[in-house]
Amino acid sequence: MVGNDIVDIAQAQKDSNWQRPRFLDKLFTEKEQEFIKNSGDKTITVWQLWSMKEAAYKLYVQKHPSRFYAPKQFECVAHASIWKVNYKEFSCYLSIKKTTDYIVSEARLIPHKMTSELVVFKDENLKSQRQVLRDKLSERISKSDNIWTNTIEFQKSEFGIPTVKFDSKIMNLSLTHHGRFGAFAF
Amino acid sequence: MTNNELIEKLKGIIAPYIQDEAAFENLNEDTDFVKDLKINSANLVDIILDIEDEFDIRLENEDMEKMLDVKSAMAIVNAKLDA
Repeated sequence: MVGNDIVDIAQAQKDSNWQRPRFLDKLFTEKEQEFIKNSGDKTITVWQLWSMKEAAYKLYVQKHPSRFYAPKQFECVAHASIWKVNYKEFSCYLSIKKTTDYIVSEARLIPHKMTSELVVFKDENLKSQRQVLRDKLSERISKSDNIWTNTIEFQKSEFGIPTVKFDSKIMNLSLTHHGRFGAFAF
Repeated sequence: MTNNELIEKLKGIIAPYIQDEAAFENLNEDTDFVKDLKINSANLVDIILDIEDEFDIRLENEDMEKMLDVKSAMAIVNAKLDA
């Protein structure tokens, strides 16, 4: 089981003003706000913590099918350079990749190396991006499991949780897209 | 404020963040911010802050948790205005 999330930094800068009053307080705990304040590049830190929370939420709802908006309650905590996100009794490990263009976070129940594969979109249209992401993922699964791409079926639960079905097998996965970038992991 | 007036006000607040025009034109109480309007989850907080400013109210964590569709937003605003 995996949850992942990507932030296109330029897109985030365009779409959100994290400096607007009360913005940080709505999304981040006091400790997280302190961490942001003391970080070198506050903008990058805001979006890193945000993507970690999103990835952790996507993993949480696979374990506990539900849908809600509680970013502040998913708290990012660093233990000697290992990042975890805690929500109530739930806890998961995060791996993070940062470039000047994007940040991708991946959440799993155990410590892990990043497996999310990046997709760069040529088209800005959301629907076509979604299709490109699914096609890339299908290709990837068909290679690793040695099956035909046309036997792979994408599903979404009532809570919006995605799975793929093939060979009477149901597999959990995570898809993310933002701005020019997408990523998938399974 | 009638339900229609409230929906109109919410429509104005939501408009800058939507990514699906057709769903926005057909907006009703059942419209989902993320599934239908394809609003980015980072922008949900902007909608929450805009609602707070517009109606001069403050939303708590419990209110935020349910802010996923027009119906819930209406219920939360109404409850706060009545309080």
